[in-house]
Amino acid sequence: MNFKELPPVKDQIRKCVRCGRCRTVCPVFAEIRNETAAPRGHVFMVQMLRDGVVAPNAKIYEKLGNCLLCETCSTFCPSGIDVHELNAAARAYITKNQGSVAKHLIFDGLWTHPHLLRHATLMMWGAQASGLQKLARGLGLTRLLPGDLPRAEKILSRIPLRSARSRLAETNRAKGERKLRVGYFLGCGTDLFNPDVAVATVEVLTRNGCEVVIPRDLKCCGLPHIANGKLDTARSLVLHNLDVFTRLQLDYIVTDCASCSSALSAKNLQFVLGEKEFAGRAAEFARKVIDLTAFLVDVLEVNTWELRATGPVRVTYHDPCHLAKAQNIRKQPRELLGLIPGVELTEMSEADRCCGGSGTFSLTHYDLSMQILDRKIDSIKATGCDTVATCCPSCTIQLRHGLKRHGYRARVLHPVQILARAYRGAK
Amino acid sequence: MDKRTLRHEMLRILDKDRVLSDDLDVMYYSYDSSFLTKIEKLYPDVVVLPRSTEEVQKIMRFAYEHGIPVTPRGAGTGETGGSVALTGGIVLDLSTWDEIVEVDVANMQVIVRPGVIHADLNDYLARYNLFFPPDPGSSKMCTIGGMVANNASGLRAVKYGCTEQYVLGLEVVLPDGEVITTGGMKSKAIKNVSGLNLTKLMVGSEGVLGVITKIRLRCWPKPKARGIVMAVFPALDDAPATVLDVYQAGILPSGIEILDQSAIRAVNQFKPEIALPDAEAILLFEVDGNPASVEWEGTTIAEICRRRATQVEWATDPQRMASLWEGRSVTATAAARVRPDGSRVFAGEDISVPLSRVAETLRAIRGLGQKYGIPVVNYGHIGDGNVHTAPVIDPENQAEVEKVKQLVHDIHLLAIELEGSTTGEHGVGAVRRGYAELEHGQAVGIMRAIKNTLDPKGIMNPGKLF
Ligand SMILES: Cc1cc2nc3c(=O)[nH]c(=O)nc-3n(C[C@H](O)[C@H](O)[C@H](O)COP(=O)(O)OP(=O)(O)OC[C@H]3O[C@@H](n4cnc5c(N)ncnc54)[C@H](O)[C@@H]3O)c2cc1C
Ligand code: SF4
Ligand code: SF4
Repeated sequence: MNFKELPPVKDQIRKCVRCGRCRTVCPVFAEIRNETAAPRGHVFMVQMLRDGVVAPNAKIYEKLGNCLLCETCSTFCPSGIDVHELNAAARAYITKNQGSVAKHLIFDGLWTHPHLLRHATLMMWGAQASGLQKLARGLGLTRLLPGDLPRAEKILSRIPLRSARSRLAETNRAKGERKLRVGYFLGCGTDLFNPDVAVATVEVLTRNGCEVVIPRDLKCCGLPHIANGKLDTARSLVLHNLDVFTRLQLDYIVTDCASCSSALSAKNLQFVLGEKEFAGRAAEFARKVIDLTAFLVDVLEVNTWELRATGPVRVTYHDPCHLAKAQNIRKQPRELLGLIPGVELTEMSEADRCCGGSGTFSLTHYDLSMQILDRKIDSIKATGCDTVATCCPSCTIQLRHGLKRHGYRARVLHPVQILARAYRGAK
Repeated sequence: MDKRTLRHEMLRILDKDRVLSDDLDVMYYSYDSSFLTKIEKLYPDVVVLPRSTEEVQKIMRFAYEHGIPVTPRGAGTGETGGSVALTGGIVLDLSTWDEIVEVDVANMQVIVRPGVIHADLNDYLARYNLFFPPDPGSSKMCTIGGMVANNASGLRAVKYGCTEQYVLGLEVVLPDGEVITTGGMKSKAIKNVSGLNLTKLMVGSEGVLGVITKIRLRCWPKPKARGIVMAVFPALDDAPATVLDVYQAGILPSGIEILDQSAIRAVNQFKPEIALPDAEAILLFEVDGNPASVEWEGTTIAEICRRRATQVEWATDPQRMASLWEGRSVTATAAARVRPDGSRVFAGEDISVPLSRVAETLRAIRGLGQKYGIPVVNYGHIGDGNVHTAPVIDPENQAEVEKVKQLVHDIHLLAIELEGSTTGEHGVGAVRRGYAELEHGQAVGIMRAIKNTLDPKGIMNPGKLF
């Protein structure tokens, strides 16, 4: 779709009264602290692009790139402006007119084929494990990924050897009576970096009467592509996944990944596909998509009688932006944790403040991302907890990296992992 | 001086990350929240972000020597284009200089740098059971420097007054780079009548006399209790009549707000869960103080309201109060919701009239809206006659833009005609200077003479105020 015709660009820019309410809530602005990094500034620059006052170029992309797409500004804007959508739309517009070769390779190539992506991460893992980072760099592998990877590589340490896909069956039968048949949208982050979460998800769902289908030909949800100016690619990924899921007869489509569920939400699909294409099949699909913790708490009645206390676990919960802000899911993960015997939940200050990870942001904006992360780690440290729970693979990777940097010993787990452990009666 | 040299010189004074010297970067400083800067493009040549008095002095000395315009800026939430450079030059973004220098609890005062955000200051003061009472709607984003320069006030001005009442002293860098301290060099006194009151001169000077670099503010003890009365009226005239009755009963509420029908609808459209009743006018009274007086004042106000209102609610439950008050606090920007393709514009938004003429004013503004075919949303601080008008137009439609300019002009003239002022709190800036003579007559000459004495080269925020 033409940039100027995209609904937020067409209808929302004019509504910005430049009140600056968004300035004070933006985690990036809190670090950069000048108007070029204010959400209001982004809205202004998108307007300048739309009006042709400035031409799409790399410099503007860089300015707009100072944004995590965390949606905090959008939830606070009294004029109802989806600042993050405007930003994403402008990135796509600039990329289309001025793409970088590496980006095309990554987001049109690597990241549209799960096997290739897997291959690339494996190579990186191999390189790390055998101390051959130099070689990996020599091969151009790290340069392929966006941004300042050599330093950011550290974030991606410990890539597991086996992906979740290779560990789980396509159809997983319900234990006992089958209540529901659910599709499991196994996202790239969980699959490659947190396969244990996927295993726990399947375990918990099947134990609670769900037959779990993990479509083999599933592709990325498209969020990394939206963030990196590849809106058209995101669109075709969404259409592919729609095909995949429409074929299956499912009651729900569940995902443990906050980014995936927000990418597959009605709001985001409307943005990616446009109103017209959204109506019908996509709307039907979006209605079925639900975050795992919301599904467990709101839809299923979780079997609690088989849960065994696993000794005290002192947990603090970090709200992923894509759950708390994008979907207003805040209660359910906490309620779920509350069901687990032995879990003591302590709230950290500003639990819903962005951790600075935001998918590829930590790779492309390493230093800035670390500044944002430091605040988060300070909040975690103040709780004295030994476990940080969160529902997003990107946050998980980021938090693990931050805890390590600060030398603070705590595990980062998805609530479903703690739940699965309690079912197993293990620590 | 050409742009490149100027940028280069600024880089000699400040580190690289505190000088925005790129053509793209300076564009971001072409706006505040005013309608003017939505339709005009006004770029500075360079933006600097100083964080010490010495840095500001160096910048000012350089600018003075070379006759370069300087525009101070806080958070850029002003409604008048005040913080936007009309003729290029330097913008001083002071919003990152946000130290709370000292809280002097024993003497009930606080000393801050200009960039502290109002809500942050009050969060901080709450630890000491103190607060800085003026409370603009922009509390969560505007700076104390901007508030002092604009003499800002808010919902509670009816009881607590404006910023000027709380400023005990200032440090100001004058246009030539000299520094003065007003309110006494060493003074920590609360009462002080010695000398000409330069503090009052600087408060509300909108950046045309100098750069405010330090602020000594008086704080007040934080009231222990609050309560809110909401009353719904079938007729507009009932609202001011009720306000008068409340005053006559010997009560001074901390806030008295009015929403007319257009504002009620805007709020409900924005946040249906607030669920305000559809009516001609709603009054919100806030009372604060000790629990016993709050209870008495609240119930008495509720009783008075019942004489005319169809519905009255008195709440002290924090949650209920918050949602009643939330209706009021979101009105400003929620106004745009009355028209799906429109936006609220900040122009003619802030006139102030005598209490006795509020109803007349609201009706006249409605009439003007109809005359120009522009929906207007009216709300405001009825307790002190400060009316906020939000015209809702499509700001990208040239014909509507022209019409709204006419409407706004008429509103300003109306204010003067009804024995009021063109602005009750937002200030003059670039957008209302045309009314200076009409409002102040010969006094404007004296204002200009003062300006000339302090700023003979006219470099401080040119094109503003008068
Ligand atoms: C949604 C909304 C609600 C608002 N509600 C209110 C309200 O209820 N009451 C009210 O009074 N105002 C209100 N305002 C207007 C505005 O927020 C206030 O005037 C505020 O005080 C401006 O602060 P700022 O930091 O944004 O200043 P800016 O807009 O950046 O600057 C305002 C003026 O002050 C000058 N200035 C700033 N800092 C300094 C300094 N350190 N030294 C010298 N000059 C300086 C600038 O040159 C400019 O002329 C509202 C605005 C918005 C967007
Ligand atoms: S909060 Fe909304 S209306 Fe206000 S400046 Fe930000 S984007 Fe614009
Ligand atoms: S989406 Fe997040 S990072 Fe981006 S502008 Fe909004 S608040 Fe800032």
